[in-house]
Amino acid sequence: MRSSVSYILSHAPGESVMSHPDYAQHAQHHACLLVLVKGVGGMLKNFNKLWERIQRVNNIKVTDSSGQVRDIWVRYVRDYPVENNDWGDFQTHRRLLGLITLSKFNNQVELNEVCRVHESLKVKYSNTLYDSRAFMFGPVSNMKKPEQEPESYSLYDDDNTHKNGSSLGDKNSLPSEQTDSLSSTDSFPQSVSSNSSYPTQEEHFTTPSNFKTHAMFYGENDPIPDLEQNVADLINSLFWVVESKRLERSREKLEKVSLLLAPFEKKDFIGLDMDTRNSKKRCMGRITKNLADLTLQAGLVPESLSLYHSSAEILKAVNDWLWLAAAKEGLCAASAIILYPNLRSSTPLQRNASLQESSPYKAKALSLFQPSIDPFRKFKTSSPLRTPKTSSPVNPCELTPTSSESIETSSRQSETDNADSESLASSSDIEYQCPKSYLASELPSIPKQIPSQINIQYLLNPDDIAPKYRKAIIHYSKYQNAGIIETEACFKAARIAVEQNNSLNASSFLQNVIFINLTLSEQEKIQRFDTLAELYKEIGFLRKAAFCQRLAATRQVSPNNPNPDWQQCYYLMLHSFPGHKLSLDPNYVIQHQVGWPALQIQLLQELVVASRRMGHPALATRHMTFLLQTMWPHLSKQEHKDLAIQLQALSAQCEGGPVPLVLETGEVIPPANLTHVPQCTWFTPRPLPPARAPHLIKSKTQNCPFIFTPIHFGTLERNAKKNEGKMEYLWVEDDICEVQLKLTNPLPFELKVSNMRLLTSGIVFESIPETIILPPDSPTTVNLHGTPKEVGELQILGYSTHTLGVKSNCRLKNMPTPHKFPASYIIEVIPSLPTITIETTVTPSGNVSVSSSENVGSTTNISLYNGESTDCTIRITNTSNVAIEYLDLAIQSNMDNQLQSKIFQYSNDDIQSQLPIAPNDMATIAIKLYGEADFLDLGGVGGENLFPNSLTSNYPSRVGSPVPNAQNSLPTQGSNQHTSLSSGLIPNRTSGSFRSTNSHTTSWSAPISVMPPSRGRPVESQLIIRYSGGTSKEIHCRQSTLQINLELLPSVSITHWDVLPAEIPSQLYLVLDVTNLTSEEMDFHYAPSKHILIESKESCRVPVPLDRCPFNTTHDKAIEEGSEITESKSTNTGSSTNSLELMCSEHITNNTELRWHLMQSDISGRASVKGITLSQAMMDIVRMSPLNWEVSVNSQCIKPQEEYNCSAGECLSLGVAVWNHLNRPLHKLCLSVQFYQDYNNGVLSYKLDNRVATAGNNKVVLKTLAESAKAYHECTVVFLTPGEYKIDIQCSTTELIIEDAVTKEENSLIQTCTGEVSHVWRFIPPVAISVTD
Amino acid sequence: MAVCVAVIGKDNSPLYIGGVGNDTSTDNELSRQWLVHTALDALEERLATTNSNNTATNTNTSRTDLRDLYLGLLYSTDTHKIYGYVTNTRIKLVLVTSSTSPSGSNIRDAEVRTALRRLHALYADAICNPFHLPGEQITSQKFDKQVKNIMLNNV
Repeated sequence: MRSSVSYILSHAPGESVMSHPDYAQHAQHHACLLVLVKGVGGMLKNFNKLWERIQRVNNIKVTDSSGQVRDIWVRYVRDYPVENNDWGDFQTHRRLLGLITLSKFNNQVELNEVCRVHESLKVKYSNTLYDSRAFMFGPVSNMKKPEQEPESYSLYDDDNTHKNGSSLGDKNSLPSEQTDSLSSTDSFPQSVSSNSSYPTQEEHFTTPSNFKTHAMFYGENDPIPDLEQNVADLINSLFWVVESKRLERSREKLEKVSLLLAPFEKKDFIGLDMDTRNSKKRCMGRITKNLADLTLQAGLVPESLSLYHSSAEILKAVNDWLWLAAAKEGLCAASAIILYPNLRSSTPLQRNASLQESSPYKAKALSLFQPSIDPFRKFKTSSPLRTPKTSSPVNPCELTPTSSESIETSSRQSETDNADSESLASSSDIEYQCPKSYLASELPSIPKQIPSQINIQYLLNPDDIAPKYRKAIIHYSKYQNAGIIETEACFKAARIAVEQNNSLNASSFLQNVIFINLTLSEQEKIQRFDTLAELYKEIGFLRKAAFCQRLAATRQVSPNNPNPDWQQCYYLMLHSFPGHKLSLDPNYVIQHQVGWPALQIQLLQELVVASRRMGHPALATRHMTFLLQTMWPHLSKQEHKDLAIQLQALSAQCEGGPVPLVLETGEVIPPANLTHVPQCTWFTPRPLPPARAPHLIKSKTQNCPFIFTPIHFGTLERNAKKNEGKMEYLWVEDDICEVQLKLTNPLPFELKVSNMRLLTSGIVFESIPETIILPPDSPTTVNLHGTPKEVGELQILGYSTHTLGVKSNCRLKNMPTPHKFPASYIIEVIPSLPTITIETTVTPSGNVSVSSSENVGSTTNISLYNGESTDCTIRITNTSNVAIEYLDLAIQSNMDNQLQSKIFQYSNDDIQSQLPIAPNDMATIAIKLYGEADFLDLGGVGGENLFPNSLTSNYPSRVGSPVPNAQNSLPTQGSNQHTSLSSGLIPNRTSGSFRSTNSHTTSWSAPISVMPPSRGRPVESQLIIRYSGGTSKEIHCRQSTLQINLELLPSVSITHWDVLPAEIPSQLYLVLDVTNLTSEEMDFHYAPSKHILIESKESCRVPVPLDRCPFNTTHDKAIEEGSEITESKSTNTGSSTNSLELMCSEHITNNTELRWHLMQSDISGRASVKGITLSQAMMDIVRMSPLNWEVSVNSQCIKPQEEYNCSAGECLSLGVAVWNHLNRPLHKLCLSVQFYQDYNNGVLSYKLDNRVATAGNNKVVLKTLAESAKAYHECTVVFLTPGEYKIDIQCSTTELIIEDAVTKEENSLIQTCTGEVSHVWRFIPPVAISVTD
Repeated sequence: MAVCVAVIGKDNSPLYIGGVGNDTSTDNELSRQWLVHTALDALEERLATTNSNNTATNTNTSRTDLRDLYLGLLYSTDTHKIYGYVTNTRIKLVLVTSSTSPSGSNIRDAEVRTALRRLHALYADAICNPFHLPGEQITSQKFDKQVKNIMLNNV
């Protein structure tokens, strides 16, 4: 866009170079009247408010002399460099036309000063200023108007058409007051200040006499209702001046016009011939252009178009590029004004908007632009104001209004003291001045006006504006001194392009700005970049805007800048965030990961520096944290380390916290949380330890027959499953809970993380802070604890850390992506439950006393001798604040329930009676432990013997003599197999078939095989204590487990046993082989008065006297056992024998009382013969016989154990009487008497054919023996040789079979007697007869 | 001729930035990134306008528009000129020439065009690598070498 013939006409920058670009200019400002609004004197509190109110009066409608309504626009500025004023000929909208001062004074001195400043401002802009207003704010509200010199005289006397017609109230009042005050004050400021003394006369202020301005006085806090009115009045007056100028210009004769010059052109035309045709044309063109400007300002936009066009045509012909450019620009501006009327109206709206962020203009005008200009202005104020004007006569042909003004001014000043530029300006427009006509007032129309039909002919198309502007800019670029104009033109063009929504055009205009080489102060350069950034932003070139902002920021603090401003730098950088696709919110940045990391890192680092340098360490820390957090993946390991160290250094000045920082501009910097330092790779809440974990008191009722089923009925359950992060376990109120996390320190140095807590929501949760030191690069497991304080749902959101001097709230949902965590963990917290301590004491032994703390599955070790019992006391202390209202004891072990209940004995009622247990109270549970064991040693003897435990093999026994070889001959043979199996065999030696048929016989003795009594057996059992209390006692309970390791030591063992008939038939002896398995001497009590000492590991045989098992009881029992057995008795003798055996065994067990006492360690215990097995023969002894015997020899009754002596050959009469004690008759009894010799070596000789002679039957069959009936049989016997004889008397019944065959009883009699014997009763002990010679 | 070549992905993420400079210091690298980054605005805007033009005009012109992938000069600074090129898959190729160097100052548009076409071909070759994940940064050394060749040889 730059002209290739750059700078052809340019000179070295001269004094008149306009050097203060106004970046805020818009195209529509071409049509505006420029008014300076300035606060002077003390700072007004409501200055900004007033400024806004004034700005709102930016457009008034004036009816001109021809009755046409003119739209007049005003542009208010707060500051205006005088140099720019000099370009007023070139572009009239650059002229400052009006002045408004807002001033505050407290006393006369200040008032004088304020007036002086106002006047000096008027002087400063005297070249162009047409009118001014002064708003004075005094100390008191409702103050009287101070006396004032009648400034209106000077102003309006000359106008003299309207003096009395002034519609303004204060104007009217002025003269009246003036009369009062004139007498007292014709004074100068100094004198007045001395005269006026506050206390008395504080309401009487006088303006100095040389103050000739239209002034309005108010109290400082007055509402000032007529502010707008006054401003409008000012504008109205300005309009008429402009209008008059326009008319004047339009009536000038084109041949005689003078040449208008841009400030720097003056030298160029020295010595040129002005009378050439070219030169004349140039003058004409310039004048036309000037007229067009005025026309535009006067509100006649369409007219201005044609003027611009014609001037452009003229100027083009004479190659006056600068002015041609101006004409083109004017054309563009006018077209833009018509095409985009909203441009005009939108601007004031933007200015008034209170949203600072959205309104770039306001922010700039108030915060940036103003301070940057101020120092510069001060610098410039000293320059003589009138120098350019005094130099004006240099061009004699110049007849511009300005010059004429100045000339007139000087002349006027000489004439009258109160000469004023304003008055002069108005004086030249007398004919058209009509103050009454402002706004809607009617006026006599002045017939001299431009044709009313609008000439739109020259209106540019929207598409043509940009190329036209471009051409203009190219023309401008040919003049180095017009650089500012070019710059401004670029901005204006860009703004139009923005309005046209043509971003590319806008950007090309903006790009052009860069190439314009201007000697600017740093501040102006910054401002240029800033404006560029604003416009780039508007067209959506955010990156470009960010680039410009960053450039501006670096300029702010560049070494060339005499007064670096880090704060501005900081804000510029901050505002370039969107262009770098950065957000202030770190989570957003992490999630989206857009933008160029290298640039973002650079920007952030610069931002950190800027915020540190501007003295805001908190921000520095925050941004450094942000940098580390968001750019973590893009940084190298070394950078991680460096930045972390930097962060540490920064945070030493100001700690970073997870709170948003609010900047002065109202921007909020959200907190940045370090989740990368340390990195969390694992985060799970832990269930309570088993001892404190709540359990359901009643387990869920299974409504489904399957233990597991994948099918779930009902959608509720399925939904619950989907709830991610919902924990299955429960936490308990007021109970310490734990979350486990695994942290890794990614930095190469040791990292201290202090004050780690859990972040929760929902119910109140008290987190316990934790401090840890993490070694570099090794995962560390950390447990965080806390206590829920309420009941309900607890959400665990994350954790907070304090590391590198920064406090962070690391929320799970914001965790870096590689680790997937649910957004929160939800845990149900139930009401508090009691906790207990369990203390166990085992009394008798005293040596075991384990005190167990609350939760550890504590162990109590107890060793007991078999048969020993001891008391165990469990003391439960309630350590919580909740009373225990439910307590339940259960024992779990590897034993079956029956055995278990024998070892552990406790009273449930006793436990329940102690409830409830108040806090800090104690309850005692007594448990009796008994070393239950089977004392019968079955496994000890192995081998061949079928009856290992019956004493038969080793000891003589009259009953237990079922020798194998005697099987066939013995009548007991029928029941032989059965007895042998049930009494002698160890279950694992029994055949499978046996077990299958008769399994119930061995069921009760199952533990026998489990616990061999000969060595110590460990019994592991758990005492489960379930307890609860508080509000949730119905649902939940706690469970403590107490491990009890019981060692059961062998004490005594019964290796063999047998039964012997006692001397009295109602008694028997149970003969036991007792082995002392302990290492001590043992005192073994086996009967109330009998005891024996057994050495360690020694074995002893003891007879235990017992009553025989009463027949009735057995029978009754048999009946009780069930009708099945009694019924089956007829068919299956085996089962009946079994039940009988059970009865007998039980009888023996119950009646035997064995006690032992260890002499040395003073331990006593008991033993039992439980589980003793009996053979059929034994049972016969044990049981009271159903048949009562009475045996007599030679009519002499034989006592048991008695030996009868006789000589050989003697005839003995043996009488046997049998009573039936059964309550039913016995049938088919076979009573037999048999003689034999016992060799006492286990051999019985029945072959006594030649030694014994018997007379009478030795075998009788009794058909029926009725109940309680007696049968007597007698036979005679003669022993032929001396010796020891024994008589075996027995009675056998064949009843069952006989009953089957009642009809052939005769035939079967013998058979039954010899063969199928179902039961045999013997007379025990057998009668012994010793025969002597 | 060129001082920097950049390949920019569909989502405006940098895929490759290579440059020949006097030094390879980070400053140089950063300034290159700034240059290319700020060019993206203009590039996108130009894409958007051609698109809207395409929809507005008839299909005939749109076809020709589509065929021309070369976008021309995006913008220029005091020292550099930045040219753009967009593939049909919206991969942006940016070429930066230095206007201060004698070779780069008076470079012709056609030269840039051919250079960018060649770059396009190289890019296509590079992503034909089955091990290359589209959207990832281009780390191919061969590509780097060839691009540097384009930048240097084509003086």
